[in-house]
Amino acid sequence: MNPHLFTGFIGLSVAMLSIGAVGVLVRRNPLVVFMSIELMLNAANLALVTYGRFTHTMDGQVFALVVIAVAASEVVVGLALITGVFRRGRRLDLDDLSELRE
Amino acid sequence: MTIGSTFATVGAAVVLGLPLAGFLVISLGGRRLPRAVVRWLGPGVVLAAFACVLVLLAATLLRPAADRSVTVMLWQWLQLGVPKVHGVPGALGFNADFSVTIDPLALVMAAIITGVGGLIHVYSVGYMAEDQGFNRFFAYMNLFVTSMLVLVLSANLVFLVIGWSMVAFASYALIAFWYERPTAVAAGRKAYITQVIGDLGLVLAAFLIFVSLRGPTGALLHTVSLPTIFANVGPGPHFHNGLGGSGSGLVTLVGVLLFLGAAAKSAQWPLHTWLPDAMEGPTPVSALIHAATMVTAGVYLVVRFHPVFQQAPIAAGLVAVVGIGTAWMAGVIGCTQHDIKRVIAYSTMSQIGLMIFAAGIGAYSAAIFHLFTHAFFKALLFLAAGNVIHAVHDEQDLRQLGGLRRRMRLTYPAFLIGALALSGIPIFAGWFSKEELLGSGLVLGPVTPWLWVIGVSINALTSFYIFRVVWTAFHGAPRSEPAEAAREAPKVMTIPVLILAGLATVAGFLEVNFAGWHPLNLFQAFLQPVVGVVRAHAAAGADAAALVAGTLLSVFGLGVAWLVYGRRLIPADLVSRRLPWLYQLSFRKFYWDETYEVVFARPVLRLAEGLTRVVEPNVFDGVVRGVRDAIGALAQDFRSFQTGYFREYATVFFAFAALALLFLGLRIA
Repeated sequence: MNPHLFTGFIGLSVAMLSIGAVGVLVRRNPLVVFMSIELMLNAANLALVTYGRFTHTMDGQVFALVVIAVAASEVVVGLALITGVFRRGRRLDLDDLSELRE
Repeated sequence: MTIGSTFATVGAAVVLGLPLAGFLVISLGGRRLPRAVVRWLGPGVVLAAFACVLVLLAATLLRPAADRSVTVMLWQWLQLGVPKVHGVPGALGFNADFSVTIDPLALVMAAIITGVGGLIHVYSVGYMAEDQGFNRFFAYMNLFVTSMLVLVLSANLVFLVIGWSMVAFASYALIAFWYERPTAVAAGRKAYITQVIGDLGLVLAAFLIFVSLRGPTGALLHTVSLPTIFANVGPGPHFHNGLGGSGSGLVTLVGVLLFLGAAAKSAQWPLHTWLPDAMEGPTPVSALIHAATMVTAGVYLVVRFHPVFQQAPIAAGLVAVVGIGTAWMAGVIGCTQHDIKRVIAYSTMSQIGLMIFAAGIGAYSAAIFHLFTHAFFKALLFLAAGNVIHAVHDEQDLRQLGGLRRRMRLTYPAFLIGALALSGIPIFAGWFSKEELLGSGLVLGPVTPWLWVIGVSINALTSFYIFRVVWTAFHGAPRSEPAEAAREAPKVMTIPVLILAGLATVAGFLEVNFAGWHPLNLFQAFLQPVVGVVRAHAAAGADAAALVAGTLLSVFGLGVAWLVYGRRLIPADLVSRRLPWLYQLSFRKFYWDETYEVVFARPVLRLAEGLTRVVEPNVFDGVVRGVRDAIGALAQDFRSFQTGYFREYATVFFAFAALALLFLGLRIA
């Protein structure tokens, strides 16, 4: 793979990861936080696939597939939690949902 | 070099790209896209793709027969066959390119998909005109056409599987199209689950081929390219037997697994129960997916993989027996159903069974020829039935129809032509293809005469149940108010029906080869480079006898239907009074749904109930409670760290992750 292309992809991955991390930290809507986490996961995927391509091995791609599977199951659980909270009539605000400290 | 690689590449890309573009534009446009655009765009892309298929077909026909197959690469997807960088050779050469094969078989399938599909798209503009989900409908339909084209054009196992599964998804989305109806959603789910069972078979077969196919030198090939696989499976010009040779356990297993996939797609026993339920979808969907294209994909798969089945006589025999058995069973069930669409659905299952039978005994060209004519007359029957349903405001029960002959002066003759073609009455398309198919059965079948006898007896069943529909729906007096007030459908719906009626009348003349008349085998000659000539001719006498017997049985079934439902000389409840068990067996669809309910659904539910009652509260909750208590006891000292604010936890987490990265970076530097 062309090194410039490689740098570009890794750069994009870093950018996506950072945007995702900022989103996780500053947003209060659990759905948006969730999307940001997905963005971070996909940034990781992009990096994995890029390295796989760069080194001509399958490991990166295979690992990305694993990450996709994990992300899918995580979405299932997470969305179920969010809908569960919403159906209890709670506001979808992460700062509101802090009674676990009790 | 065949039809020119560049030409084929561009052609295939356009054929695949047009419906895909239609799907993307319509689905991304969503509700913002006005209907006026969608009603042109949806059918337009499919018809344009059809024009392109015709160009490819013409270009192929201009080539000599031995030179009509070309495989080109459209897109290099996964390429992992290169040695590793540090000198260690790659463990596994694995290249999955999106390659397409343009050959006579693929072209016939693509022409049916885009041609019949295009007509059905046009029809849908009228049928779905008042539906809320007009745009969504065309997005799904275009997606379906794309998926089906990927399936038939792919020259690669990976993309074959992808197309195979995309077709299943599009079918699910269209069956459950009216998602407010619980029955439609349940039917969609049932269809999809069945498809996934079939996918499992196809995927396992693909894995087996990938890990165990050997090349001429005896080395493992690790290839997913279909032309390579077919060249190495059987005794070709270079004797390979890459899957262990004729009758080996491996090749038989591959054949059986492939057939599991084919049986799910083509609604063959034991994976047939989804097809009648799939009639919950809009009628154009039934015409396109559950008559003309998707359900024939199983036949295509068996024919495409015929090098494998030729090496696996046991698997091929299984295919033939299951096919003829399903054909007969579906024919019996069709005789007693009351829903007009279900009768046609069972007739589809029955006709596909005949095709599968032909593919199993090695009459590949006859199977595909019947697939070809069936696409016309079955789409015709469904669309004509759609006109009826549309005219009587969604009434599908035959007992509520009647007398529509006078009110629908275009739909009636069209349906009649479809019924005649389906029954195999001379000069209509079904007669030619069915007689060729059954004739091949007489010559090639493994236990020839018996399977043939079952095959021709299906003729009588077929013409009986379809003419039962003709007489109860179109003749006699109207039996309900909507049937009395029925109006002919608008032009946009009648014109596609009439075109299909024309095709169902004349398409058979591509193949006239009965009993030693001047044989005119245009279709077989066209397919011959792909599937070879497998039909050995029987003695002219036996062939002619088979032809006459088959035709007479069709006429017999028609006559019985006329006596029972037309003239009412035989009471319609004769069988249900005299042989109630036979009537119930047919009416209850051989109790397959009930059997699956008892054998699979209930034990699983009972197990789940037991787990919820016993294991969940004691084991899982017990463990969780234990962990909670233990941690709670441990954590008393750390409570003050817990603020409950998610973002504080996240900040700490990210900060430590950054620190760890920094540490690692310093170590490496």
